[in-house]
Amino acid sequence: MTTNILIAGVGGQGLVLATRIVGGVAFRAGLQVKTCDVIGLAQRGGMVWGSVRFGHAVHSPLIPEGQGDFLLAMEELEGLRWVSLLKAGAVVVLSRETILPNRALLEKDDYPKDVPAQLATHGLKTVCVEANSIARQLGNKRLANTVLLGALSNYLPFAPDTWLEVLRESVPSATIELNEAAFGLGRTPSL
Amino acid sequence: MSNIALLTGNQAIARGFFEAGGVVAASYPGSPTVEIMESLKEYKDMHAHWAMNEKVALEIAIGGSFAGARSLASMKHVGVNIAADPFMTFTQIRTHGGFVLVVGDDPGLSSSQNEQDSRFFAKFAHCALLEPSTPQEAKDYVGLGLSISEEYGMPVIIRLTSTLCHSRGAVLLGERTPPSIAGFTPDQARYCMLPPHANAQQHFMQERIAKLALATDSLALNTYEDTDRRDVLLVTSGLPYQFLAELDLGYSVFKLGLCYPLPIAKLKEIAAEYARVIVIEELMPFIEEQLRAAGIDASGKQFFPFTGALTTDGIRVGLVRAGILQQGTTGAGTPPPAIPRTPMLCSGCPHRPVFHILQKAKALVIGDIGCYSLGILEPFEVLKTNLSMGASLGIMQGMAMAHRTADKARAFVAVIGDGTFFHSGLSGFANITESKENITIIVLDNRTTAMTGGQPTPTTGDLGQATHAISITEVLKSFGIQDISVADQFDYSNTKNVIMGAMKRDGLSVVVVTRPCALNFDVREPHFYVDRDICISCRACIGVNCPPISMKVYEGQNKKNSYIDPNMCVGCSVCSQVCPVKAIKRSTAPEEARP
Ligand code: SF4
Ligand code: SF4
Repeated sequence: MTTNILIAGVGGQGLVLATRIVGGVAFRAGLQVKTCDVIGLAQRGGMVWGSVRFGHAVHSPLIPEGQGDFLLAMEELEGLRWVSLLKAGAVVVLSRETILPNRALLEKDDYPKDVPAQLATHGLKTVCVEANSIARQLGNKRLANTVLLGALSNYLPFAPDTWLEVLRESVPSATIELNEAAFGLGRTPSL
Repeated sequence: MSNIALLTGNQAIARGFFEAGGVVAASYPGSPTVEIMESLKEYKDMHAHWAMNEKVALEIAIGGSFAGARSLASMKHVGVNIAADPFMTFTQIRTHGGFVLVVGDDPGLSSSQNEQDSRFFAKFAHCALLEPSTPQEAKDYVGLGLSISEEYGMPVIIRLTSTLCHSRGAVLLGERTPPSIAGFTPDQARYCMLPPHANAQQHFMQERIAKLALATDSLALNTYEDTDRRDVLLVTSGLPYQFLAELDLGYSVFKLGLCYPLPIAKLKEIAAEYARVIVIEELMPFIEEQLRAAGIDASGKQFFPFTGALTTDGIRVGLVRAGILQQGTTGAGTPPPAIPRTPMLCSGCPHRPVFHILQKAKALVIGDIGCYSLGILEPFEVLKTNLSMGASLGIMQGMAMAHRTADKARAFVAVIGDGTFFHSGLSGFANITESKENITIIVLDNRTTAMTGGQPTPTTGDLGQATHAISITEVLKSFGIQDISVADQFDYSNTKNVIMGAMKRDGLSVVVVTRPCALNFDVREPHFYVDRDICISCRACIGVNCPPISMKVYEGQNKKNSYIDPNMCVGCSVCSQVCPVKAIKRSTAPEEARP
């Protein structure tokens, strides 16, 4: 069985690093892993996505239609965009972040309303995460992705220590402690 | 586990070159292959060089090979067009040090201006073409390619696609073979490509390809997965092989790692056992046509698209069309399409005021290649052509000539960045110096190759670690161009006056705008905010089209006013300069107090 994780966001949100970390954790756990990210024009504020697939025999780095088990959405509109790639009943870890796309800035399109409810109508299980406000409380908005990874980690079969190990190797050394804290707050929300 | 790493296709190519004792590598940044050179730069004991353009990069690698060192040039597909001149002659020469050209194709055009299928260059140049399907193969094929290059005396092309470049997989790491460099031995018959030497090489090129085609069995590049079923043989290569494997269909598969030359005799023999032969390949029918030319009754492109990236789903659809598969099932369903999110210039991007000025001036602007190609998109829509690196200058010159002949002379404007200026703008400039047409060229000198991740250009200078910088104004002066002005885009009204003034003057005028890239040099000043008691909702600031600026209904209000997201604004001040009532002000609050 292959587990398929899609990561979606907006160019500039640090998606490539997130893909690398999730892939790195599965790899560290001894599984076969393939990942992919879009890089290029879209990085300038366009839509970006990454995929991580792991299991015992993984061939394609891309997730076939209707096969996604998890979606990590760094932004609400991007959470909606990829629904057709997901299985019925897939888990969406949704950051409560909205970044208006160009046509919404220009008042030519309306930004979608109540994204969690829309995801629910497709039979998806949505976990909303206030990743940005948690990151800002920690004093660095770039920690938002680590908070999201913490939330995602609850659903994946890897030990927190493996996550923290890979995290420490992947982030700037000056921010290791903050990233550990962000991961912890994402994994166990203090209600 | 420690000698296995999760690498991207690009990183694996770099690793392969390192392990194979590679010495000279050169490239020009272009998606999807940028990361090859960036990874090569992390290895010691080799030369990994960003060149001014792909032709220079290729020539540097050729020089390394002539001197007996294993050499590599990497570039995106359209870069090969630039490098094709030296490549097509270099290929005639019996290779000395192993030489690989790594090309990144971009099926689906995710970050390119065309979708050309570079595999045809191999046939055109009578050289071998390797197509890996995983990062592990990408690494292995570099070493194999260098060996083939040395043994058969030809350059070898390794063709990647954007998905493979950016996808990670497990790669077994090995030690570096110490390089051996024989040095250059003068031999005019070998290295001076003129008649009669070049005539003799036409025969040599034919012979080496024929020889390699016969030796493919021993190279372990192609694999035949014989499942005993004899109804269909699937022939494929590269990532499509992995997409196909995902479907787990149980048909026999012939996987090509060497796509040129093909092992035609062997394929004929195998194909004869099957009722049908179907080729699964991205873009053009490169393999299919070779099989058909050899008399094998193969099909493929009638079922699979000739454009776009092939995926597992695309292969399934094609096989359904071919009558081999039944329609599959889907998952969570197809929701109404989400609203698009197109790329935008970054907050504080210095190109923004230039496009805003040109849009208001209703200028006819000829575009070029870089981040500033985004000036094509709404709301600016100011660039009217977009073709290839440095093309703006010649295009504008020809257009102006035609317009004058038709008595339709008018002002023309071109925009070109500093990276493109040195890549292939210099010759266009030299050509245009004496023009009498009303031509204005705006050089957007943001001091970096921004679109591909901020590689240095000759103007980067002290903003990077360079010791000296070339001044574009000085270069142009040395061309004899008189009418050169310099402007700082963040002084909006001055920049506007300079550009409008230049557009009014006949003959060639050049405006060099000098603000550095906001993203690459991490420009960040205190943010701006909208004083909504002053804002008259005119939306002039919306027209500046910066990511933080939108119209919103503030609490307790019933109409929309402009709003600047303080977390996204980097404080360039441009929006405040276009607001007619001075409603946009710089925050004096310290960074932490941002809402
Ligand atoms: S000052 Fe205005 S134009 Fe400049 S970054 Fe901020 S919002 Fe954008
Ligand atoms: S330009 Fe000034 S007045 Fe007009 S909408 Fe923007 S802030 Fe308001």
